[in-house]
Amino acid sequence: MTPRRITLRVNGTTYTAEAEPRKTLADFIREDCGLTGTHLGCEHGVCGACTILMDGQTVRSCLLFAVQAEGADLATVEGLADGDRLHPIQQAYWDHHALQCGFCTPGFLMTTVELLHDNPRPTEREIREGLAGNLCRCTGYQNIVKAVAAAAETLADAPGALRVTGAAAPSRATSAVAAPRKPRATPATSQRARRSGKTAKRRSGPKR
Amino acid sequence: MKPAPFEYHRPRTVEEGTALLAKYGDEAKVLAGGQSLVPLMNMRLARPANLIDINRIESLAYIRDDGRALRIGALTRQRAAERAPLVAERCPLLRDALRLVGHAPIRNRGTIGGSIAHADPAAELTAILVALDGEVTARGPKGTRVIAARDLFVSYLRTSLDPRELLTEVRIPALPAGAGWSWMEIARRHGDFALAGVGVVLAVRGRTIAEARIGLTGVGPTPVRAAEAERLLVGRSPSEDLWNAAAAAVRAAVTPDGDIHASAEYRTHVAGVLTQRALREAWERAREAA
Amino acid sequence: MKIEGTNTLPASVETVWKAINDPEALRSCTPGLKELKAVGPDSYQATLQIGIAAVKGTYAGTLAITEKQAPTHYKITLEGTGGAGFMKGEGIVDLEPQGSGTLLKWTGDIQVGGLIAGVGQRMLGGVGKMLIGQFFKCLEDRLGGNA
Repeated sequence: MTPRRITLRVNGTTYTAEAEPRKTLADFIREDCGLTGTHLGCEHGVCGACTILMDGQTVRSCLLFAVQAEGADLATVEGLADGDRLHPIQQAYWDHHALQCGFCTPGFLMTTVELLHDNPRPTEREIREGLAGNLCRCTGYQNIVKAVAAAAETLADAPGALRVTGAAAPSRATSAVAAPRKPRATPATSQRARRSGKTAKRRSGPKR
Repeated sequence: MKPAPFEYHRPRTVEEGTALLAKYGDEAKVLAGGQSLVPLMNMRLARPANLIDINRIESLAYIRDDGRALRIGALTRQRAAERAPLVAERCPLLRDALRLVGHAPIRNRGTIGGSIAHADPAAELTAILVALDGEVTARGPKGTRVIAARDLFVSYLRTSLDPRELLTEVRIPALPAGAGWSWMEIARRHGDFALAGVGVVLAVRGRTIAEARIGLTGVGPTPVRAAEAERLLVGRSPSEDLWNAAAAAVRAAVTPDGDIHASAEYRTHVAGVLTQRALREAWERAREAA
Repeated sequence: MKIEGTNTLPASVETVWKAINDPEALRSCTPGLKELKAVGPDSYQATLQIGIAAVKGTYAGTLAITEKQAPTHYKITLEGTGGAGFMKGEGIVDLEPQGSGTLLKWTGDIQVGGLIAGVGQRMLGGVGKMLIGQFFKCLEDRLGGNA
């Protein structure tokens, strides 16, 4: 399998790296883009932890090969917050204790983004059905449903706040509290070619 | 869980795609939506030596109306078909069933052609194709051919497509004007594979059923057309007794397997119940349309 | 998983008995059988490659025939392990004369485990029956030719 050069955009920043065709998009995002907010649960499309937005639509990044995303515009959980300010959906999850270990949360957040974009005023049933593709082992879902309903309220009062960064360049987050991982990069640093040899190998070097 | 290595090909046209399939035959798999294939590859239950990614063959994504049927390109995403005004207008049965296929991210990538070529025994689209007497077009080394739904589904995950053939178009007849329809399925959780599912169409003249179509999924290795139940309905006037009789005929027509999700008895019973409910709903809709 | 069935074969009980004990018949009729090597009387090493559509697994194991009561009854066991999981099948076969032919009754107990069982739960029973059906269809064809 010859590695291929792949260029794509995540949260507005361009990344280029080489990967074997069999490398999943989830692994590419995590290892080659250094964005580990997207999680691997089942790796066969059932749990939803790997859910991201690709060209504006939710997809299971574990069921896409990175080569397929050549030229695509991706949005991951790291792109939700605006510096220190949580995205309204994140804020609602925080306010309603809709996460415990947080492992499923990025997938839930990205699913919620699409859900509320498509249906700004969902009923409880619509929320439950809309989230049915994401599994949580900790919370029992009740607070997640409440959080989504609350987020819908907030967003109804502030249209435009649903916007997820695609265009905005991520800024450096300084506060650690309740914020996603420090987003990388200004375009200059992110464009370096990353050699990706074997998958899942921890790299030495500067801590991200 | 990572897939085994493969050679990756990305044809830009149907001709390039079929040439690759002709070359690699059963050493290749077509990658369309990937929502069924990639899980198998990630678990290494499937290890195609060659993966033929057809996602850039844009000429395969379209939805057209030829006056009698919807002609849907094989690469059309399920989500796009679910939302297409043409589908809502000409075949709302398809729209309703699509809403129950998996979850949004699955439908954002999954394709109409892929679902049919994959032939999962619990798929919605295969039952609809069979109920409405649809067709598919396939292109291969011997040329192009049209396969009728009744000749297409052979067994679990098996169609009569040759490994060197590419499914290019799905043709789904439009519902008759004023017809009522209903899709009903049952699963433990929203988005799960159906334990049993049924699609019903009733064309009505006054208070008489002029035409009836009943297609089921999840009740055998391939989708089932309940022809006996259909015959029972034509020319009759709706009543609870009639729906009961049709449900009994459906139960006699299905041979589901039991598994850890549901027993054979349960699936048989529920196929009847869903048929009754679907007939009722289809009749209501036909009356509203009148 | 317990399954059972009957088949009517167009040959006498003795002919059918010979056929179902014949390694050649077993070799050509067992679906997916790639290799069958005798390691003792009525005992074989087997390699099978079976599955449906894109999902194929290779299993290495043994096939044995026991509890023989010629010419009407035996037990056949097939077990194998492979990357996709393991499988173990036990079948009891009984032959009865029926007119000029034979009624073959079989009951089977199949256990499948490992990855393929977890993922393929929905289809295992059906596929199992189908493969066994293929076996007997093949036998029928062979016997039809000899009758």
